[in-house]
Amino acid sequence: MSSLRSVRQAILCGTETEYGFTVEGSGPEDLVDLATQFVKQIKEDCYIGWDYRHEHPRSDLRGFSVKQLAFDPTDAQFDRGRSHGNSEDIRADRVLLNGARFYNDHGHPEFATPECFHATNLMLQDKAGEIVLLNAANSLAAELGKEVRVYKNNTDFHGASYGSHESYLVPREISFEDLYKAVVPILVARIVLCGAGKAGSESGSKCPYQISSRADFFMESANVETLFRRPVFNTRDEPHADPSQWQRLHVIAGDANMIPSAVTRKIGLVQLAVTLAKAGFAPQWTIEDPVAAIKQLSRTINPPFVISLSRKNWTTATEILESYFAAFEQLDLDTGDGLEESKPRADYSVLIQECRTLLQQIESNDAEAAHHIDWLCKRKLLEIAQAENNWDWGHHGLQSYDLEYHNIDPSEGLYFALADMGEAEAYPKLEERLDALANIQVGTRGWVRGLAVQKFRDELAGASWGHLTFKGQGQQKIEVPLEPDRIYEPQLALISNVGNFISCLTST
Amino acid sequence: MFNLNLEPEGDRLTRPLEPEPGRKSEDAGPTRPHINRPDSGNELFKRMKKIDPDQAKKYRQRSGQ
Repeated sequence: MSSLRSVRQAILCGTETEYGFTVEGSGPEDLVDLATQFVKQIKEDCYIGWDYRHEHPRSDLRGFSVKQLAFDPTDAQFDRGRSHGNSEDIRADRVLLNGARFYNDHGHPEFATPECFHATNLMLQDKAGEIVLLNAANSLAAELGKEVRVYKNNTDFHGASYGSHESYLVPREISFEDLYKAVVPILVARIVLCGAGKAGSESGSKCPYQISSRADFFMESANVETLFRRPVFNTRDEPHADPSQWQRLHVIAGDANMIPSAVTRKIGLVQLAVTLAKAGFAPQWTIEDPVAAIKQLSRTINPPFVISLSRKNWTTATEILESYFAAFEQLDLDTGDGLEESKPRADYSVLIQECRTLLQQIESNDAEAAHHIDWLCKRKLLEIAQAENNWDWGHHGLQSYDLEYHNIDPSEGLYFALADMGEAEAYPKLEERLDALANIQVGTRGWVRGLAVQKFRDELAGASWGHLTFKGQGQQKIEVPLEPDRIYEPQLALISNVGNFISCLTST
Repeated sequence: MFNLNLEPEGDRLTRPLEPEPGRKSEDAGPTRPHINRPDSGNELFKRMKKIDPDQAKKYRQRSGQ
């Protein structure tokens, strides 16, 4: 259990989204090279020089490292006899002015947001990333003279999945077991409120429609893999911060959401679970087989949303979610220090109220829920497509409408048409998203990374999540850690001398 | 409001596995459509008409993370 002050602290988090994309006349064997070209078309001002020295994707939270990560054998076939060049050139990493990262990850352009403390800020950063993708796609299309389309989804409907990941900074003192027990029930149950929906299935028995686009791809309860044999709970131990103090909860079980509040909700629910874990107050559910549970729930498209537990017991997603809400409401966060009620408390109260309303709407078949939950919104779209084409559920053409729901071009995508018609929740205004690309919450380490790129790009020798490295004098480089829980002084933005900037970063 | 009982084995709010109430076959797809069918002249229908039903069949990606 953490101190009360730690429990009250907001949890730093970020998203990493791998986008699907097509280039007219090209196939999957071309996508690694094309994704590099895609990223290099970035139109936003940026810094080139990602520092890979601190990346350890093979380290496991359970205290060991694997020799290598597994690869999808189908992808290996695509690459047979092909050479893509050196890995840094392939990845083509860029750091944006807001501290975000844009790069090629396994044949997908990936946008990783700068770190945020609040889920609403993170949602805006996540949505701002779509502008970066769309601008680069338009530029690539012009250069190649071919149509380029970009999809924020998780599947190609042929068994290839790509991720929409979340990261949460968690104190190292929380044990793996406690974190696992606190988070897994939420990862399973939250799909009812955050699933993106999918026409058809790609593993197990056939189904016409399911809640989660990602559920088909989980094969193990917990492991360090992300490309193959994916787990519900990913154990990658790569904190991007002082490992003696911090661990990173790397969530790969979520869906890519088009609806803005669904992004906020999926982040907020995991933050809530981590907060309860820190307090030692997380509800104790024993989902014996999380893989079977999430697959079963994903195919349960009408309530009650049953989840099997150990010893032949069962519950529902609603009851699991409500247990977390009730636990939080019983948590006493008053430190007696006279401080105002913390921002996390206010954020969670809004989240809990919204989730309860949505759960009631789903139970009562209130159409309003489809405005705010992707799997219900998409289901509505597919019902329209069915009626228009006189198709049954299970017709393969529905997957094409599913795909186009995720097209990120507002002039083409079906989600955007639904939003414009008032049939889905409104999208953040372009001005808000552009502002998010230029500005980020002042004081976070993401803000500092962005400042360094804006003001001292020529002095930078490298940037990463946890460090900035400056060129210094001669061969001597100056490496400065970026502290994840520190609130950096706003005056940093006024400094024009790199030496003073470094001094301020290193002073405590 | 649920009565929180933070017992380690998590038997709270659970019931025997059989029988589950209301479990229906999902093979026929969602059972309760509630469509406010949009006007067929609108932007959604214009975009839907452009979609090739075989588009997803042709859509192939690399396996990412």
